[in-house]
Amino acid sequence: MARLANLETEYPVLDSTVRNFCASHGIFSVEDFLIHDLYMLAAFAEQNDSSERLKEGIAQVLSIIDDMHQPWLNGMELLEDAKRNKHVFPTGIQGIDLLLGDGIHVGQLTELVGPSSSGKTQVCLRTASNVARNHMVLYLDTGNSFSPQRIAYFLGKTISPSSAQAKNQFLQKVMSNISCHSVFDIFAMFDVLHQLESYLRCQDGRGGCQMRLLIVDSISSLISPVLGSSSTLGRALMTSAGYLLKKLAHQHNLAVLIINHTVGGEGGSSKPALGDSWKCIPHSRLFLSCDRGSNTYNVSILRHPSMASGKAARFVI
Amino acid sequence: MEIWRLPISASQRGKLISSGYTSLSSLSSISSSDLARELKVSESEAMNILKVASHSRGSETSNASCSIVEGAQSAWDMLHDEESLMHITTSSADLDNILGGGIHCKEVTEIGGVPGIGKTQLGIQIAVNVQIPNDFGGLGGKAIYIDTEGSFMVERAFQIAEACIEDMSEYNRFLRKDFQECKIKMLPQDILENIFYFRICSYTEQIALINYLDKFLSEHKDVKVIVVDSVTFHFRQDFDDMALRTRVLSGMALKLMNLAKRFSLAVVLLNQVTTKHTEASFQLALALGDSWSHTCTNRIVLYWNGNERYAYIDKSPSLRSASAAYSVTARGIRNSSSSCKRIKMM
Repeated sequence: MARLANLETEYPVLDSTVRNFCASHGIFSVEDFLIHDLYMLAAFAEQNDSSERLKEGIAQVLSIIDDMHQPWLNGMELLEDAKRNKHVFPTGIQGIDLLLGDGIHVGQLTELVGPSSSGKTQVCLRTASNVARNHMVLYLDTGNSFSPQRIAYFLGKTISPSSAQAKNQFLQKVMSNISCHSVFDIFAMFDVLHQLESYLRCQDGRGGCQMRLLIVDSISSLISPVLGSSSTLGRALMTSAGYLLKKLAHQHNLAVLIINHTVGGEGGSSKPALGDSWKCIPHSRLFLSCDRGSNTYNVSILRHPSMASGKAARFVI
Repeated sequence: MEIWRLPISASQRGKLISSGYTSLSSLSSISSSDLARELKVSESEAMNILKVASHSRGSETSNASCSIVEGAQSAWDMLHDEESLMHITTSSADLDNILGGGIHCKEVTEIGGVPGIGKTQLGIQIAVNVQIPNDFGGLGGKAIYIDTEGSFMVERAFQIAEACIEDMSEYNRFLRKDFQECKIKMLPQDILENIFYFRICSYTEQIALINYLDKFLSEHKDVKVIVVDSVTFHFRQDFDDMALRTRVLSGMALKLMNLAKRFSLAVVLLNQVTTKHTEASFQLALALGDSWSHTCTNRIVLYWNGNERYAYIDKSPSLRSASAAYSVTARGIRNSSSSCKRIKMM
């Protein structure tokens, strides 16, 4: 969506006569062009002296715009894509896998909500250790709670007892698939997601071990410092973060897992943080809680594209 | 709308969008003087905007050779780093046991409890214990003590430092057995000298200090613990705008996390308690609300059980929930002396 002046180097048709004509109608960039009435513009161009040149310029801008939209997909193509690419990853926790019908979906944004110390980070670590056996995982950590010790413990539980060296090799192979990065403000997260996007674009072309899971622990810590002030920037950042994560999930076949915390609602009950604008952004939302002093956790579905909401289960970590 | 992603001020963003610069690529080929003229801002502001934009774009062109993202570490490397990280002992063996060795570095630990349970005592003990030299299993680092309530007592710190040095000589005598070299060269005065003390009188001073710590820690790289006693005090009374309080606290927590990670130090935040009304009963909970309780890495709750002081691990990514007894003696925090003490695993 560039300014018309900048496009001149690439498309010499858009010279100063075309630009002056557009400027006289208040059009300075491609975006302004889109919201203008094109028939009126063409009519004015007819009446102008250099109408041919102007019409060429308008056609050129229209073709630039055409290149920018996403390709159309029909239902059959979507189904093919879903069967081939959009797998389901089991989290490794029996209760959750049974509740969700096999696990978390690739191409979807899954949110874990719960009060403090309700097992959200543990579920993420368990899922990461499970998915890392065959794919790569990126863990974005805002609270220094990524614990490689715990990942090693989860992996140690799953393999059969064998020699210490074989176990070491297995741990090395799987744990090298997990990358952890600490982000401490939302702009840093946008930078990281941008870099991830270019990495994924190169990855789609070649084979080998591919990245399939992105975990953000937790996105609410990044958004809380900017949300709620008099300016609307906080909410804009929040929704654009949500859309960027969903776009990465769908286009590059990632499963995205994010963590949110709870705040006090009416009557003392807790509700998810980040407000109503965030409510519709994740595809599925799971509410976690912990029975005080025991190892059992409760999980219930707040929202899911294919499971009934309200279903609950218990699990142990 | 990639301009949203740049960390620039709202007025600059507004000017960029109204002049038609909505994506990063549109800023790529313009010079700063042209931009200054278009946006009607000063040339230095325009140069700043272009610098921020090119930095954002620069990260796009760096190709992923070994790491997916700049600065990411693989879990395998982190596992090995973690094994070499030291912990800060609390001088009570039971407490150290449930903490997995002591207070962890690179993490933010929140310790909360009712008044009189020993939070400040624990804070002072940690500020002294971080200075135990490497030969005795300590970090040999300095401490920053941020006092918001005025409860730091220098005489008590001196007393604890003396007791710590006596303990170190005892240890030397029993385990080293080479009497010639068992002279501890530390004096209590040296320990006090290595505690950097800041007294804070309002919440703006608290935020300003946390922002300043970045520069301070770059100059004093041997600081290994920051103790904030207490982090709640200036946020409880007279705060009308709760939304502002949440934003300020979340921002402060992220900055402390950043300091802990970058400079490999431990951050200990002491918190007070408040009563929460849930399901027609009143319960004691840590102050500052749900959003704040989400931001720390570990949380330890101190409580009374009969006549004994207990510590309970409420939140931790790698430790299991357990509680242990401790006591506050003239020499500082020590193991509880009762005969029926035992560590209760949850």
